[in-house]
Amino acid sequence: MNPKYFFLSFIVVLITLGIGGLYSNFKYLWDQEKFPVTIAVSKTPLSTPFYVAKSINAFEDTCVTVEYDEVIGGQAAFEKVISGEVDFGTSSDSVMAFQSLTKHSFVTHAMFVQSDNDVKLITRSSDNVTSAMDLKGKKVGVTKNTASEYLLSTLLAIEGLSMGDVELYNYKPKQLVQALSNNKVDAIVSWEPFAFKLSQSMGQNIKIHDTKSLSTLSFNLISIKPDSQLVEKAKCVIQGLYKAINYIASHPQQSKKIVIDELDLDSAFIEWVWPDYIFKLGLNQSLILSIKSQATWAVETQMRESTEIPDSERFVDSRALLQVEPGAVNILL
Amino acid sequence: MKFSLQQSIYIFTISSCLLFIVLVASVFWSTHIIDLAFKRETYAHQVENHTHILKLFIASENIYASNYDTDNWLALEKKFRNLLRQSPNLTSEQLTIQNSIVSQNKNILHLFNAISENKLVNANKAVKKHLKLRLITQLEAIQSDSVHLSTMVQKDIRSVIRHQIVFILSILILVIFILAYGAFKLSHIFRTSLDEVKAAFKKNRTGDFQKIQLSNKSDEFISIVNAFNAMNKELNETTISLAAVQKIVDERTQVLENLSKTDSLTNVANRRALFERGSAEFSRSQRMKSQLAVILLDCDFFKKINDQYGHLFGDESLKHLTKICTDEIRNIDFFARYGGEEFIILLPDSDLNAAVETAKRIQRSLVNKPLSFDGQEVYMTISIGICTVNDKHANFEQLINDADDAMYQAKSNGRNRIEILGDNISH
Repeated sequence: MNPKYFFLSFIVVLITLGIGGLYSNFKYLWDQEKFPVTIAVSKTPLSTPFYVAKSINAFEDTCVTVEYDEVIGGQAAFEKVISGEVDFGTSSDSVMAFQSLTKHSFVTHAMFVQSDNDVKLITRSSDNVTSAMDLKGKKVGVTKNTASEYLLSTLLAIEGLSMGDVELYNYKPKQLVQALSNNKVDAIVSWEPFAFKLSQSMGQNIKIHDTKSLSTLSFNLISIKPDSQLVEKAKCVIQGLYKAINYIASHPQQSKKIVIDELDLDSAFIEWVWPDYIFKLGLNQSLILSIKSQATWAVETQMRESTEIPDSERFVDSRALLQVEPGAVNILL
Repeated sequence: MKFSLQQSIYIFTISSCLLFIVLVASVFWSTHIIDLAFKRETYAHQVENHTHILKLFIASENIYASNYDTDNWLALEKKFRNLLRQSPNLTSEQLTIQNSIVSQNKNILHLFNAISENKLVNANKAVKKHLKLRLITQLEAIQSDSVHLSTMVQKDIRSVIRHQIVFILSILILVIFILAYGAFKLSHIFRTSLDEVKAAFKKNRTGDFQKIQLSNKSDEFISIVNAFNAMNKELNETTISLAAVQKIVDERTQVLENLSKTDSLTNVANRRALFERGSAEFSRSQRMKSQLAVILLDCDFFKKINDQYGHLFGDESLKHLTKICTDEIRNIDFFARYGGEEFIILLPDSDLNAAVETAKRIQRSLVNKPLSFDGQEVYMTISIGICTVNDKHANFEQLINDADDAMYQAKSNGRNRIEILGDNISH
C-alpha cells in the first residue's frame, strides 16, 4: 500500500473519531433538557460557591438554568423554600436543627461550606466582659431559631448559666448591629459580615470574643422533601457547585475577588473570614450529629417546647450528591 | 527540502533515538504520575488512621478530669499537623478535602485548648458531654474527609493508571507508526531506485539506451543515474545495432551487386549481367520450348566519332544509343552493353520478325533523333546482327556467337543494316 494513502487514511480515521466525539458531546448538550431553577442564596461570603459557579459558568453544562434570589440570612432562605417561592435555598445547619423540631418537611442535598467561627459574641469594650459569666443579667440580642441563639446558650452553659440568666432580645440579623450601637442591648451574638462591620465602625469600642470552634456553621443546599425530578435538579445544581468548589481550592485569589465584586465587600473583610471557611461538598455523619446535637440542645435547654427529637437522618437526602460525588457521602443509615 | 539518502538515514536514526527517548521519558513521566497517585493514597491512609487514633483518645478518656494529661493527645495532634503539612501534590478536588481537613484540625485544636484551659469547671454535665461530643464530631468529620480523600485517590489511581497506559500506548503506537513509515519510505526509495536502475541495465543489453527517470529522487541515485545517462548518451551516439548493421550491409551489398552488374557509363546491364540473364533466358527457352531472339548491335565508325568529336562525345553517343534502345524495347526485353560500342538485346518469347521490327524501330529512332555537336547534327548508324535460338545452340554463348557473326556480316555488307544468321535477308 502506498504510504501516502496509508497516512491519509490514518488521518481520516482520526478526524472521523474526533468529529464523532464532538458530535456526541454536542448532542449531549443540545439534547439535554434544561430546568429553570430558582435558588434563594443568602447574601454572605459563605455563599461563595454559588457566586463562583455563576462567574465561571459552572451550571452551563448541567441540566439547569439557575437564577438567584438573594436573601439576608439562611432563615429567610429557608422560609422561601418552605413557602414554595424558590426551588432551593441555602440554610445553615442551625436553622435546620431548629426547624427539625417543627412540622416543616425539608431536606438538605449537600453541605457546601462550613465555618467554625462565623457566629461571634460581640460586647462593648466598656462593659469589660471577659467570659460568658459576665453576661449574667445583661441584655443580649440574638436571632431566634438560628446559630446565634445556639452559640449563646453554649457559651452560657460552659459557665454553668442558662438562657434564663440573661435578658434575651430577638432581632433580625441586620437589626442586631443597630441594637448594639444604639445601646438597646449590651451584647449581641451575630454572624459575619456584621461582626466585621461593627469592628470597622466602632473599632476599639467593641470587643469580639473568641468563640472559634464552639459552633459550626455549615451552609446547605436545602429544598422541600423532593420528588425524583427535584432530585435531578438538585444533582445538576450540585454538579455546578462541585466545579465551583474545586475552582475555589485551586484558584483561591480569583475566588475571593469574585465574592468581593459580587457582594461589594471590603477585601479586608474577606481576608478576615476566609481562613475560617471550609469549602467542600459533603453529607456526613458530623452534619447529622451537628443537627441532632443542636436540636437536642434546644430541647434540653428548653429553648423549644417540643420534647421529641426527630431522626436527623430524615432531613438528609443523599441521592443527588451520590450521583455527583459519591465519596462525599459518608452517612450511616 | 531535499535530503540525500545518507542524510535520510542519519535523520531516521536520530529520529528513532529521539522517539525512543520520548518513549522512555513518557514511561518515566507515567511512573512519576502513578507514584504520586500512590503517595496520595498512602497519605490519605495515614490521615485516616491518625484521625481514628485521635478520636479514640478523646472518646476513651475523661478529658474533664483534673489529672487528665493533655500532653499525649497534643503530641499526637502535633504529629498529625506535621503529617498534614507534608501532603503530596494534590489535585484541585483533593485539595478541597485537604483544606477542609487542615481547617477542621485547627478548630479541633482550638476547642481542645479551650476545654483543657479550665476544664469547664462551671459547666454542667450536659454541656461537658455536648462539647466532648462536639470534639468527637469534628474528629469524625475529619475522618470522613480522609475516607473521602482515600476513595478519591483510589479512584484517581485507577484512572491515572488507565490514562498512563493509554498515554504510553499512544506514544508507542505513534513511535511505531513513525518508525515503520520512515523504514518503509527508505526501503521504498532504495527498492524503486534499484529496480529502475536494474531495468535500465536490462534495456541496455537489448541495445535500448534509454535515460533513467527516477521516481524517487535521492542524491546518491541521482549521481549514479547521471553517470549512467551520460554513458548511455555516448553509447547511443556510437553504438549501432546488429540489425542496423545488417541493413546497411544489405543495402551496400545491393549497391555493389548493382554496380557489378551495371555498366558504369551507360547505367545499363553489363556483360556479366548479360550472361547471367542470357543463360537463364536460354535455359528457360530450352525448358519451355519457347522462342528467344538476340539482337547484337554495334556503332558504325565509332572510332571515327571518337577521333572527330572527342571521347566525351563518344561516351555521349553511347548514352544516346542506350536511351533509344531502352525506349524502343519491351518491358520484358533485356538490354546490356556487350563491350566497347557493342550492345545486346535479349527478346524472350519473340520470333525473328518481332526482333527485326525492334531493330528497325531502333534504326528509325536513331535517324529521327540525331545527336548534336556544337549546333551541328551528328547522325550515328549501327550494324545489327540478329539470331533466334535453334536446335544447334547448346548454350547462350553459341547464340551470341551467331548474333556476332550476323553483325559482322552486316559490317562487311556495308554497315547500317540488319543481318540475320542463316538467312540471306538483310535490312
